[in-house]
Amino acid sequence: MSACDVIVLGAGPAGASAAIEASKAGLNVVLLDAGAAAGGQVYRAPPGSFRVTDAEAMGPDFAIGDGLRQELAASPAKCFFGRSVWHIAPGFVVRAVFEGNTEVYEAPTLIVAMGTHERVIPMPGWTLPGVMGLAAATILLKSQRILPGENTVVAGTGPLLAAVAASILKGGGKVAALVELSTRMDWVKALPSLISRPDLLKRGFGWLGELRAAGVPIYRGHALTAITGDAEVTGVEIAPVDAQWRPLAGQRRTIAADSVTIGHGLVPSTEVTRLMGAKHEYRHEQGGWVALRNEDFETTIPNIFVAGDGAGIAGAAAAALRGRITGLAVARRAGRKIDASRETTLRAQLGKAERFGHAISDLMQARPGLIETMTPETIVCRCEEVTRADLDSAIRDGARDVNQMKAWTRCGMGPCQGRMCGEAAASLLAAVQGGDRSKVGQLTARPPLRPIPYEAIVGQFDYADMELPEPQPG
Amino acid sequence: MGARRIEGGIARPAPVSIDVDGQSIQAFPGESVATALWAAGIRALRTSPVSASARGIFCAMGVCQECVADIDGRTTPTCLEPVREGMRISLRWNRP
Amino acid sequence: MFDTAIIGGGIMGCASALELAEAGMSVALLERRFLASSASGVNAGTLSLTDVRAALVPYALRSVELWRTLSERLGFDIHYREIGSITVAFNDREAEVLRERIAAKAALGIAVDIINAKRAREIEPALCEDVKLAAYCAEGGYANSAATGRAYRLGLIRAGVTLHEQAEVTRIERNGDGFVVSTANGVSLNARRIVLAGGSWLGGLGKMLGIDFPVHWRVSQVSVTERMKPSVSHVVSHAYGLLTLKQSDNGTILIGGGWQGKGDPERGPAEVLPQNLIGNLRLALQTIPALQGTRIVRTWLGLQAHTPDAMPLVGPIPGVENAFILGGVRTGYTCGPYVGKLFADILLGKEPELPLFHAPFNPSRFTAPSGNERLALTA
Repeated sequence: MSACDVIVLGAGPAGASAAIEASKAGLNVVLLDAGAAAGGQVYRAPPGSFRVTDAEAMGPDFAIGDGLRQELAASPAKCFFGRSVWHIAPGFVVRAVFEGNTEVYEAPTLIVAMGTHERVIPMPGWTLPGVMGLAAATILLKSQRILPGENTVVAGTGPLLAAVAASILKGGGKVAALVELSTRMDWVKALPSLISRPDLLKRGFGWLGELRAAGVPIYRGHALTAITGDAEVTGVEIAPVDAQWRPLAGQRRTIAADSVTIGHGLVPSTEVTRLMGAKHEYRHEQGGWVALRNEDFETTIPNIFVAGDGAGIAGAAAAALRGRITGLAVARRAGRKIDASRETTLRAQLGKAERFGHAISDLMQARPGLIETMTPETIVCRCEEVTRADLDSAIRDGARDVNQMKAWTRCGMGPCQGRMCGEAAASLLAAVQGGDRSKVGQLTARPPLRPIPYEAIVGQFDYADMELPEPQPG
Repeated sequence: MGARRIEGGIARPAPVSIDVDGQSIQAFPGESVATALWAAGIRALRTSPVSASARGIFCAMGVCQECVADIDGRTTPTCLEPVREGMRISLRWNRP
Repeated sequence: MFDTAIIGGGIMGCASALELAEAGMSVALLERRFLASSASGVNAGTLSLTDVRAALVPYALRSVELWRTLSERLGFDIHYREIGSITVAFNDREAEVLRERIAAKAALGIAVDIINAKRAREIEPALCEDVKLAAYCAEGGYANSAATGRAYRLGLIRAGVTLHEQAEVTRIERNGDGFVVSTANGVSLNARRIVLAGGSWLGGLGKMLGIDFPVHWRVSQVSVTERMKPSVSHVVSHAYGLLTLKQSDNGTILIGGGWQGKGDPERGPAEVLPQNLIGNLRLALQTIPALQGTRIVRTWLGLQAHTPDAMPLVGPIPGVENAFILGGVRTGYTCGPYVGKLFADILLGKEPELPLFHAPFNPSRFTAPSGNERLALTA
C-alpha cells in the first residue's frame, strides 16, 4: 500500500494541473490515470514511441498538452499511468489495476478529475463498424495519427464537428459532409458569450474556412436519421430538424460515405462521486448530473474534490484552471502556504473561461426532439442490444427511473456499464415525465468502475489458506 | 481497404509483426492495437454476443468496450493496448 | 376505505397483495421506491432448495411449485429456470457440515442426495477437481430477480391492486378499528387493516405503531461476469452457504453467497467491501475454474431484512388490532410467493395449508405482551 497526502484521479488538464499545484505547495501527491501519458482525451499525446517532427502540424492542442506534460514531469507529483481505478473506499483507499494486478493507494484527500464521455443519441445503423464518436475520431487523428475513413460524414453538435472535419482534411482524408444540428442562428445567439475567447473563436472560423475551401457540403439544422450499410457503412440519411431537433418527416437526403463520426455533446463522468455517495444535481447546460460542490470544489463528501469537466462541462481551458484552483485550495486547507493573489487571479480567469465553456456546452447539449432519431428497431444499448421498442415497452409497463429501466430491460447492464446508452435511456424516460431529467435519477455507481479481469481482483491464493467466515445459518 | 495513417507531424518507429488469428500484420510499436487493425483493414473487430452483429472502434478511450479482443490470452480493449512485437490477438467472432 | 393496505412492495408484500386482490379484497400497496427495488429485486435470484434453512424447507418446497407458473400468472417472463442445484464441500470439515445439513433437509422432504466427487463432476463438469463431497437436488433453480418488480407490477394492476410507488409512508394513525396511512408524497388512505411488509425498513414502520421490532439488515454483495460461453448448468453453492453461483441464459455468471457490504436503511446500500468481494470471488473461482480469464462487470448491493434469530417475522402485531407484520429474512425471495399465499389465506379467513402465525415466525417472540400503551396515536 502506498500512502500520500492527496490522490488525484485523472491526468487530463484538470487532474494534471491540480497535481502540479498541490505538489509544488509541498503536498505528497499521487496521480493515477488509465492512459499512457498525461493530457486526458483533449490533449492526448501521441504514443511515446512516436517522435514529433513538426509540432505545428500537430496543432495548437499538442503544444498546450506538451507544456502541461513537461510541467507535470518537473513537479514533485508522483505519476502512475496505465492504472484503471476500480474501487474506492472511504478514507480513502483507491484500488487500481496495473498490468493485471491490483495496487492499493491511500490518502486522506481525493481530487476527482475523471473528465467526460461522449453522448451519442442513437439512430439506425450506429453500431456498424466505421461509425465512431467525435472524441474517438479526435483521438485517432491527433494521437494515433490515422484517418477515421476515406470519406467521412461528420455529424452532431458543437465545435468538435468543425475541428474533426478540418483535421480529416489536413490529414489527407475526405469529408463527405458536415451535418450539424445547430443552426447559424444558434451560434449567433451564443456569440456574446463566445467573444470572451476571441482566440478560440478565430480558430473555429479558421476550421470553417478550410471546410469551405475544400468544398465540403455543410448542412446546418440537420440530424443524421440513419446510417446505411450491411456489414460496413455505405452512407447516411439526413433530415432537417425543428427547434427541438425533432427530424422533420419526408425530407430525407442520402449521402455516400465509408465512415461516420458523430457526437451530441459531452457528459461529465461522475462515477467516482456517485460511488462515494456525494450529492449531485442535474444541470442541463453543464452536460447533465454534476456533483454539488463549494467554491473550493469540495463535494458534499468532506475531502473529496472534483475538478475539470467532470464537475460540469466548461471546456479544456476552464478544466485546467479549476484543477489549479483545486490543487491550491487543497494545499491551503492542509496548512501549506500558497500565493493568495495567484489564486485570486486564477479564479478571475476561470470566470471568463467558464462563460465561454458553458456557452459552448449549452450549444452542444442534445435537445429533447432528438430522441426521435431512435426508431423502434434501433439498438439503444449496444452491449445488450436493447432496442427503443424494448425501452418503450418498459415505460408502458411503468418504468420511471433509470435504475428501474436497467433492471427491467438490461439496458446499461453490459460491459460499458451504461455509459453509451444511459443518456438515451434517460431521455426516453424523461420524455414521459414532462422532459424533466432530474426526475429519472442517475444510475447507481458500483465497483468495479470498469470491467476488471477476475484475476486482478482475486490475486493469487491457495484455498487451503483461505479463512472462510462462519457458515451461514443452516 | 485499410484506413490511412497520417504521415505528417510525427515519425514512427520501425514496424513490427503482430499475430491476428494466425495472420501476420505489420504494426508500429506504441500505436494502439485498434489502430493497427484499423490500418490493416480490419474494421469489424468482433461480433456482438447477442445478435452476432459486427462491431468496430467506437469510443477509442476504453469506455464502450466494443473493441475488446483476446490479447495474449486476456480480454482487453484494443484501443488502450499499445502494440508490442509478437503479441497475439484473437478476435471475438461469433463467440459469447 | 381499503380492506387492506400493504406497506412495502417487496416480494412478500406483492405476493400477498396479489392473492388478496385475486380473492376479491380491495387492496392498496404502498412502496417507498419501486416494486421489488430492494432485496427482492437485487438478490442473486437463487431458488435452490438446498440453500434454504431447515425450518423454511416446507415453505420453500411449496413455493417452488408457485415459481414454476409465476411468469404465466403475472404476465411477464421472470425467467424461472428449474436447473437444480449442487452444493460442494472441499475438505473434511465442510463435508461434515454438508452431510449434517443435507440430512436435516432430506428428512423434511427435499429430494436431495449426497454424491461423491466423481458423480458431482459428471453432473456438473464445470466443478473443480478438488471437490470432496457434494449434494445434488434436481428441483429448484433460479429466477431473474431484476424482473420481479416488472412482473408483479403487471400482475397486481391486472388484479386490481391500487399501487402507490415512490410513496414513502411517514405516518400511520388509528381511525376507529382501521387506520389512516399517509405518505411523503401526499397520499393519505384509509384501510381496515394494515400489513407492514417493509423489509429492512420494518423497524421504522414499527415505531409508527409504537413498537420496537428487532429488525436489522444485512447488506449482501452480488457480482456478475461478462457474458461467457455456456459453462455452468446448475445452481452451484457451498456447504457453508457462502456461495451461490449460476449462469443465466444470457451467458453472464452471477456470484453471491451473502458476503457483506455496508449500508443502512437511511443511506441505502452504500459500500462494497473489497475484502468480502475478494473472498466471495475466490470461493467462486475455487469452485468453478472456468471463471479464470473472464471479467467482473459489476458488483452490487442489497439491503436484506435480518432478525436476531434469522427467522421471518410473520403474524398479528401484539397489541395493535388489525395490524400485521410480514417480514422475510434470508431466502425470503424463494419462500415469498408461498408465504404471501398463506398470509392471504389467513386474512381471508381460510385455514392455511401450513401454519404461519406460529412460534418460530410470530412477532410476539420479540415484543413484550403489554399492549395498552401501543399506538398512542389512537384517534
